[in-house]
Amino acid sequence: MKRFSLTLTVLCLIVGAFGLAPVAAQDAVDITIRCKASPPEEDWRCNNFAEVEEQVEAALGIQINLNLVQDNIDWGDYKNEFVLSSEAGTPVDIILSGHEDIGAWAAAGIIMPLSQEMIDAHPEFADLVPNLWESVMYDGQIYGIPQDAEARPIFYSKLLLRDLGWSEEEIESLPDRVTSGEFTFEDMMDTAEQAVEEGVVEEGNGFWHRNGNGPDFLYYYYGMGGEVENEEGKMVFDQAAALRVYELFDELVERGITRSDMIGLDGNTIINPAIASAEEVLFNAGGTWNWPNWAINYIADRGGNDYLVENMGLTLIPAMDTGEAITLTHPLVYMISSQSENPDVALALIAAVTTPEANNRHAIDSFHLGILQSQLESEDYLNNPQISGAHYMLDHTTALPNNPNWGSWSEAYYTGIQAVENQDLEPEAALETVVQQLQNELGDNVVIQ
Amino acid sequence: MAELQSEAGEVRLSRSIPSPPPAPRRRRGLSRSNLTALGFMAPAGVLVLLFFIIPVLLITFLSMTDLSHANFTTDLAQMNFVGLANFQRLLNDQFVGKIFFNTVFYVLFTLSLFNVGLALVISLLTIHIDRRAGFFFRALWILPRITPVIVYILIWRRLVAEAPYGILAQFNSMMGQPTPNLLAEMPWVVVILVNGFVGASFGMIIFTSAIESIPKDLMNASLVDGSTMMQRIRYVILPLLRWPLLFVITYQTLSLLTSFEQILVLTNGGPGLYRTEVWALSAYHRALSTYFGNAQWGYGSAFALVLVVVGVVMAVIYMRVFRFGELVGEPKIEDLE
Repeated sequence: MKRFSLTLTVLCLIVGAFGLAPVAAQDAVDITIRCKASPPEEDWRCNNFAEVEEQVEAALGIQINLNLVQDNIDWGDYKNEFVLSSEAGTPVDIILSGHEDIGAWAAAGIIMPLSQEMIDAHPEFADLVPNLWESVMYDGQIYGIPQDAEARPIFYSKLLLRDLGWSEEEIESLPDRVTSGEFTFEDMMDTAEQAVEEGVVEEGNGFWHRNGNGPDFLYYYYGMGGEVENEEGKMVFDQAAALRVYELFDELVERGITRSDMIGLDGNTIINPAIASAEEVLFNAGGTWNWPNWAINYIADRGGNDYLVENMGLTLIPAMDTGEAITLTHPLVYMISSQSENPDVALALIAAVTTPEANNRHAIDSFHLGILQSQLESEDYLNNPQISGAHYMLDHTTALPNNPNWGSWSEAYYTGIQAVENQDLEPEAALETVVQQLQNELGDNVVIQ
Repeated sequence: MAELQSEAGEVRLSRSIPSPPPAPRRRRGLSRSNLTALGFMAPAGVLVLLFFIIPVLLITFLSMTDLSHANFTTDLAQMNFVGLANFQRLLNDQFVGKIFFNTVFYVLFTLSLFNVGLALVISLLTIHIDRRAGFFFRALWILPRITPVIVYILIWRRLVAEAPYGILAQFNSMMGQPTPNLLAEMPWVVVILVNGFVGASFGMIIFTSAIESIPKDLMNASLVDGSTMMQRIRYVILPLLRWPLLFVITYQTLSLLTSFEQILVLTNGGPGLYRTEVWALSAYHRALSTYFGNAQWGYGSAFALVLVVVGVVMAVIYMRVFRFGELVGEPKIEDLE
């Protein structure tokens, strides 16, 4: 009897499995989403999808097998992974990456254009801050949905400015004075030089910037009046603007404001601890997302966010030759693979996370700026003094171009910065080198002016 | 080595005893012999085919296309054939000269000072001390090789970082000495030390086993002749190490030419303008790794193909210099029989 029961149970399970499987398979949709995020503060980039999964399942009447793949590998490897998997025929359905990838990936046909009808089908997208749509356009078509925006400000140490004799009023008014153009980049360099001379900071610690290539270096070029793309969509290299940038980086080192080995300096062991303490570096060109990273990972024992609020402030990048203070925004965007078998479901998932609730979770935890109009008026956003206080920066922002040749352009331009900062070349020689490299690598695809 | 030669001689001896066979039989014998030889060579041959010949053919093809992240495809018919344009671009690249000489500098110094020089010194020293102590010291020298690259490099980065982060800087600080960031101040010294400490263990194992296999009667004879330790090394040991030396120098030259992972993690080719960028790293950078992901597989393959050609040429030169033909030739003892 016992054996009979067991056999019956097994048979029922087998019959049940075979009987139900086709029904489940009919309505089940596999969606894989790939995100790059610095844990824990940026985890909502992918985790938000898990939060809305049931809601989308209910709305579409299907079962979604959601597969979230999230880590923090280098951008280059991350992007190669998507390109190679696309050609292997096994790409993810949704990839989160920099908007500038649209130029190359749309041209290669590995991401899907989103028609106006597809966009209009989801009212959530109408709430996006209008100028963010420009970042996802290529050849007149939309290729992605913005996930976040940020500002790349100058962080200044209030502690060290006090040591330098600045009054509280001068310190607190610095962001406004930078925005109005009263306090320029030259003024910042003078202040940093003074801090070095008076021993407030060690030589080379007056102004720091990122330790490797990335979007930041472009705002110096913009600040010197350069343009990267002409009306025909061709990359442009403005020699006068680039020369001014190279002279600037040369001067930063010559005057003892910036260390000559800044590029390549170890981020985790040297840069972040030094800046987060607010005791060693006077000015630092970073990104808003640095703030929670420092608070959580470097100065939690000193009070984390409260310590930063008390001892650190942020401003736009002070005006250079153009006379206008600027910053640069580099929206990350969700893109759908052109090989996705369920692009409608993928877009529905993206729409579900493009809400004030979902995006506030990410923005507040990671100090990214809002991307939705209603989000900017939401209580959570307004109640966060850092984020709402930095939001004005989006009015002064610039962006990278969506151009397939941007990567090569950027590598060449950055080579010049490396060369002058490390004192390998004089600015004029660096410019000559970069022009030659651009002509060799891009040929007719770049206009040297 | 002498034992090996002796064994080879015996094998040849047994094969050469019968009187000359008639022509047809010789053909069958030769054919069987060839098949046996081919059978023994087959596993290695398959490996060479899969992991050298086919990849070389592939990168040769890729180097003549403009394949990049913007036009990537696995369909050979869709790839744009650009002939030798990538090589022309490579020659026009103003940093190629610097990268080439960086590579020569890196290979020459790491090979001579560590992969061969230090390896030989460690072998000789550890052979001439107590056997257990010698084994212990050799085991210590293997540690860098068996430590995962990332862990090994992190240790070095901590070692040479500036104060208060670096271990050496802490000592310097205690003695009132400057505490610079050594990786930025003297990148080549650190790069060569890091790679040399890994490379030395390979030669050390080969040389130690070769020295230990030298027949005792040769060593005893030199002792009876009243030789000093230095004389034994100079006149007995080193002359008998020609084959292991050829092997280590050839193998390690090719290995150094193509290795870049330590440099990638340590300096990424910097600081400054390609200060420690070597050829293999440059191929990697161009083909696979830039911040914005603009991989240029075609151009990177051209870099890689140049490295293959240089490697093959170097191997041929080494074989000529060390008279490889004589080393693997039939033993002289056969002539006496």
